Amino acid sequence: MVGEIFHFQEQHWHLLPQRAIFWEEEKTLILSDLHLGKAAHFRKAGIAVPAGIVQEDLFRLQQLITQFLPVRMIIVGDMFHSRENNEVQYFRLWRQQFPHIIIDLVMGNHDIMADEVYAQLQINVHPTLTIRHIHFIHEPCEESNGYQYTFSGHLHPAFVMAGAARQRLRLPCFYFGQHCGILPAFGHFTGHATLAPAATEPVFVIAGKSIIRVQ
Amino acid sequence: MQQRSGGWKVVTKWLGDKELKPFKFQEDAWKAYQQGKSGIVNAPTGFGKTFSLFLGAVIAWIDAHPKDYTHKTKNGLQLMWITPLRALAKDLGRAMEAALQELQVPWEIGIRSGDTPTATRAAQKKQMPEVLIITPESLHLLLAQKEYPKIFTHLHTVVVDEWHELIGSKRGVMVELGLSRLKGLRKDKLKIWGISATIGNLDEALEVLLGPYHNNGIIIRAKLKKNIALKSVIPDEIEKYPWAGHLGIKMLPQALPVIDESQTTLIFTNTRSQSELWYQALLREEPMLAGALALHHGSIDMELRIWVEEALHNGILKAVVCTASLDLGVDFRPVDSVIQVGSPKGVARFLQRAGRSGHQPGAVSKIFFLPTHALELVEAAALKAAMEEDLIESRMPVLLAYDVLLQYLMSLAVSDGFHAPEIWEEVRHTFCYQHITADDWQWILSFLTTGGDALASYDEFKKLEREGDYYSCKSRMMAMRHRLHIGTIVSDAMLKVKFMSGGYIGVIEESFISRLQPGDFFTLAGRNLEYVLIKDMTILVRKSNSKRSIVPSYQGGRIPLSSNLGKMLRQKFNEALSRNTKDPELIALQPLFNLQEELSHIPKDNELLIEQIETKDGYHLFVYPFEGRLVHEVMAALLAYRISRIQPITFSIAMNDYGFELLSDQPIPLTNENAKALFSTDNLLIELQTSVNATEMARRKFRDIAVIAGLIFQGYPGKHKANRHLQSSASLLFNVFKDYDPQNLLLKQAFNEAFFYQMEEARLRETLERIKESKIVITSPQKLTPFCFPIKVDSLRDTMTSEKLEDRIKKLIAVNG
Repeated sequence: MVGEIFHFQEQHWHLLPQRAIFWEEEKTLILSDLHLGKAAHFRKAGIAVPAGIVQEDLFRLQQLITQFLPVRMIIVGDMFHSRENNEVQYFRLWRQQFPHIIIDLVMGNHDIMADEVYAQLQINVHPTLTIRHIHFIHEPCEESNGYQYTFSGHLHPAFVMAGAARQRLRLPCFYFGQHCGILPAFGHFTGHATLAPAATEPVFVIAGKSIIRVQ
Repeated sequence: MQQRSGGWKVVTKWLGDKELKPFKFQEDAWKAYQQGKSGIVNAPTGFGKTFSLFLGAVIAWIDAHPKDYTHKTKNGLQLMWITPLRALAKDLGRAMEAALQELQVPWEIGIRSGDTPTATRAAQKKQMPEVLIITPESLHLLLAQKEYPKIFTHLHTVVVDEWHELIGSKRGVMVELGLSRLKGLRKDKLKIWGISATIGNLDEALEVLLGPYHNNGIIIRAKLKKNIALKSVIPDEIEKYPWAGHLGIKMLPQALPVIDESQTTLIFTNTRSQSELWYQALLREEPMLAGALALHHGSIDMELRIWVEEALHNGILKAVVCTASLDLGVDFRPVDSVIQVGSPKGVARFLQRAGRSGHQPGAVSKIFFLPTHALELVEAAALKAAMEEDLIESRMPVLLAYDVLLQYLMSLAVSDGFHAPEIWEEVRHTFCYQHITADDWQWILSFLTTGGDALASYDEFKKLEREGDYYSCKSRMMAMRHRLHIGTIVSDAMLKVKFMSGGYIGVIEESFISRLQPGDFFTLAGRNLEYVLIKDMTILVRKSNSKRSIVPSYQGGRIPLSSNLGKMLRQKFNEALSRNTKDPELIALQPLFNLQEELSHIPKDNELLIEQIETKDGYHLFVYPFEGRLVHEVMAALLAYRISRIQPITFSIAMNDYGFELLSDQPIPLTNENAKALFSTDNLLIELQTSVNATEMARRKFRDIAVIAGLIFQGYPGKHKANRHLQSSASLLFNVFKDYDPQNLLLKQAFNEAFFYQMEEARLRETLERIKESKIVITSPQKLTPFCFPIKVDSLRDTMTSEKLEDRIKKLIAVNG
């Protein structure tokens, strides 16, 4: 797994093929759209998607934690998919391995559990969050919102490349717009939406085990 | 004679009074029915095949109740008539009612389909009519009702109408499963009959209907031949006729005389969007047709369609532009001409459409073939020859459809629940599931009860509950959701289209509307509409006079060429080459063939043509096996895979019914020396499975499977998609199954469907064997040829690569930077 260090807005952002960003100056892992509990939510409704997706997602997160030793994690929304279920309880056990890491959740449209549940899980919930003039909000903004820069999720962005002989590739990506950057979805059981960025905006695609800047 | 029973006499006297005499096949069917047999009646439309079986049942009833048959009512369900088309039900019912009335048999006829009002359903629940006309879906809905066995206490006959239409599809599997349950309930008291047009595998059709272990079935053939006159509409100037295209609007002026000289004409197009365009263009070209021209396709409001059908009946209309939506169905007597726009891709479909005209016994069916591009004329010549030789396609029955089985078991579970051993016996005696293993069955049951394997202790999966060998669904919510989803016809989510001022126009695919902005114009049901807004799953529009409107494209318009027609096509090319053909189509095409010969080559029967052409798009390789789109898709993937092992290379792949194209950004290393090896049958199966496209094809197949098996929650009809948190795409589900549950049977089914139905592996092998014996001719034309042009302009493409992902990205960046 090879990340790419992106020097941007006077900070060092490690863009990781595990679909997360490590913010060097703040020793913080940033992720978005985990949708924990989604598979369980489906299974509870009688739709037999495979169990085991959540374990894989959390194992990947665990590996990132042991590699980067963050003091904090910022989740830019949609950490949980729906109401409380047993996968949420699985997360509670998982959480106990890392009681010292602060988890800041910026609320997404899927984060609908009761406040006590988040408290139990030692998750601090915020409508938005601002650190060092960097703003975090779930849904991306089009225009300037007065902050130095903004990070969002929500869209599960993918980028399409087309080339000679009618070739075409579609890959999940990190996107850095003029005012707002968008993170790829961390969870595996999530789809993608294709972005159409301007040619001047940096885009990094996740190409298997590496990150490649495509524009 | 023993069979001249009382009932027989009553019926023949009634016919005699109308100066009618039963056909021989009708009498044969009555006899076989009296003897308690099951079977299939094979007769062309327009010869009273309905009455061959319906009157058989009436005769038996009169025989059984000679004294009181004229006033015996409330007898419970006697005869169930399964029809694939709900539009057919009404006319069938009317015809039956008329006959019964004159015969003084006070039976009631009921209809049960998606359109049956709730009040009627409730009345039927209290007292079932003696005859129930029903669709396969509604039959399964009956099986999903509490205490359903009561409905069938007196049932003694099931007739499956238009069996040839059902057999090749999963709706056919629904019929098989429904019949298996009815047989289980009624044991050997049940007679099962099918009605089928001629297909290549009628004997097999009988096996599928009655199950592989039947010993009592016969096929009654009408041996009546329909007279069909096929005439091609040949472009005035073939040199100027386009080499590619699929609309045929350019030929429209030549269709007008046909419409003019006929009483009523049906104009068949292959897609709904094409029918919309033709409707508009006809009105533009011949404004006099306004009011006498109608449009009929599956996305148009039901009421409007019914109106069109009635108007056809009554002879008010001069012409109707339609799609497969009018392939089947009632007799439209005024119709005396049919125009087929573009290739029908198969002999059976063409015959069926031709048969929509000249419906009276003995009349000639007139059909005009109107090509949408020049080469299609060869298909007309091939169709004519295939018709003469009676080369009618087989309809391959679906095997081991786990998705339909899951749906069926769920239906039984939400009604009275089921005992697994009993249902297992019934299911494995059907044709579809005759090779199901006990392991598969266990997997299916556990998929419904525990949600498959890999279970963790904290799992909360809920669907069915098991007590011993008894399975049932306890959740009312899930039961309701299931009943709404019964069926195997999967379409893109459809949105209603309504005028702002009220008034329903039809439905449109969500994927189409999602590409439009409010203010855009589009065409539906022959009207130009302006998209105003979307609200509660309804598109609100207003009338527009805009000239530039977009015609919605609908999925599923691409039917592959059948192998029968492909074979004929190769013969016709051979004939064209010999230059002593008598076919007017081939003679007309001579200038085009000359050009092809001049630029490249026309392949003989024992040759395979390959063209290598370089254009600004890159390096093209065109191959022409003439085996139909599906075989070409697989062959292209295979060839691409084999070439990509020579060197890292990426292809984009396109195909049509004549051949396929590999396009690359680098020269393609195919030569006279390695060509034969690249088309060999060695390691065929393994290499097919490793070729990237197998996964992609399976992914496409998985879409329907996921919906049928109940993995995709489609929301409630006409309502906002409730339960947003349960939304997911089939493609995403396919990914997670592939990564986390590769042993899943539904996944296996997707690959099977891709291999055995889509890939037609057997046909591919045959083609490769044929190529082995052939001479491979490689040409390097300086320009695009008449053969390759239609393939090149096709925009639907697949990809095959052996380059590393990183390398491909870097190349793409280099090109775009």
